[in-house]
Amino acid sequence: MANILVVDDSSTVRDEVAGFLRKNGMDVDTAVDGKDGLAKVRANPGVKLVISDVNMPNMDGLTMVEKIRGELGNKTVNVVMLTTESSPAMKDRGKAAGVKGWIVKPFKGEAVLEAFRKLAA
Amino acid sequence: MATDLISARARASFERIFQRAAQSRLVRNAGDAVQIDAMQTLPEEDRSFDAVAAEVVVLTISSIAFRLVLLLRVQHDAATQAYYVGDAARTLRETFIEYGNLCCGAINQELIGHFPDLGMSTPYVLSARCVSYLDALKPAYQAMYAVTIDGTVPLQAMICVCANTPVDFMADMSAAVEESSGELEFF
Amino acid sequence: MFSYVLIALVGGAIGAVIALVVVAQRGRSALANVRAESELRISDLMRENADLQTQIEDAGHELHAFETELATSRASIAAQADTAQAAQAALGDVRAERDRWAALSKQISGETSRLRGLAHTFERWHEQMISLMTQNQEMHARNEELSAIVRHVVIVSLNASIEAARVGAAGRGFAVVAGEVRELAARSEALSRSYSDSLHRNDLTTTATFQDIQAGGKMITASLSSVESLANQFQSHPALH
Repeated sequence: MANILVVDDSSTVRDEVAGFLRKNGMDVDTAVDGKDGLAKVRANPGVKLVISDVNMPNMDGLTMVEKIRGELGNKTVNVVMLTTESSPAMKDRGKAAGVKGWIVKPFKGEAVLEAFRKLAA
Repeated sequence: MATDLISARARASFERIFQRAAQSRLVRNAGDAVQIDAMQTLPEEDRSFDAVAAEVVVLTISSIAFRLVLLLRVQHDAATQAYYVGDAARTLRETFIEYGNLCCGAINQELIGHFPDLGMSTPYVLSARCVSYLDALKPAYQAMYAVTIDGTVPLQAMICVCANTPVDFMADMSAAVEESSGELEFF
Repeated sequence: MFSYVLIALVGGAIGAVIALVVVAQRGRSALANVRAESELRISDLMRENADLQTQIEDAGHELHAFETELATSRASIAAQADTAQAAQAALGDVRAERDRWAALSKQISGETSRLRGLAHTFERWHEQMISLMTQNQEMHARNEELSAIVRHVVIVSLNASIEAARVGAAGRGFAVVAGEVRELAARSEALSRSYSDSLHRNDLTTTATFQDIQAGGKMITASLSSVESLANQFQSHPALH
């Protein structure tokens, strides 16, 4: 089972992010929305890092994180949001839900690679 | 009259914010040329059988006082396909939706500095024929642009701002704004 | 011999008298000394006595002053005790106020927390939008089908006209019918195009409306999060506990 999960409803983003991480030797799985992401974390509780968008149909990213911490009781997986949202209120909600970090799209691959490596270790 | 609701400097601000967003987010590679020309009217949508397939990506930013609808028309021609997709095993539609999302996201990020209560929708794709009906939205302010990317990709951008209460603000009018995105902000 | 005894006796007597006088004199001077000493002592004692009197008087004054101070202190303590009591009462009031505020802020936290459930409402709206847009697409599809059928009818009627022409005079009636069918087909085609235009107009307004609802919903949720976070900060302030 992969130790990184990339959640985004855009296949472009999933390909870009997962592709970039795989190119750098990491093991990555993907999900298409919050509901799918939640199911995948439930099925793979050993996942180390979740990189997720906020705006997705069926279940948005922050609700997914809240459910991962609440319903699934998983307090250990590191979560980083990768989104166009940058409002302080959204970030506060992320913080309260136990999100570890926030990246405003588009992400700068080289800049975040080290951080991702550490969080997925 | 509805059109007086958006102040002159607000209009100029919306225009400048859009230009910055287009220049930074509609390009595949930073620094690619972006030519933005204002249009007074939209060209008649070609309805003939051999017309080039075209679509619009629609996004909305909602504030308490107004909503901003952004429409980006993209053609399914060779130049556009080559520029945005290249060799990737993806559709132009999927790829361009994300560019539209990023462009609107950049507008959202700038506006949030002036309007703290702001939300952005997810993108939706409609037939290009829909752009003939922008009046149905009853916008207080409307702007249309022909955007040429990298000298070869022909896009059109339409912005409709709908409000029923006065909207006034002044954005930074410089050519480019500090890029604070892309890096990981640790909590 | 008698004279010697007499002289001795007289001598003795004189001696005794001299001794007595000497003693008396000594006694007198001693007495005088004693008297002088006593007088000195008396005047010393009288001075000491006067000093003591003065001291007693002073002490009396001081005592009086102390008594006055004591009275003042007692009055001041009494006043301070009143103030302390009043402050105590005020503190009690403040504590009660603070408890009310703490309860209120807890309520606010609770309400904003509950309103986070709005995410479900937005999910519902989003589903409804997807459903509506799907219906719109189906209407487009049906309209396209209709268009296709109409185009086919036009072709059929054209063929019919051609056939009628080949048959000659006998086919004239048929040619008229074919012509009318072609006219009907043209009107259907026009209606279909007009319907298509309406569908596209509808697509735009529906999409824009639902996007406004979706974005507006996020705006509200974000603002509520802000309020909730403020309420939590307020509630966890040490002054409220």
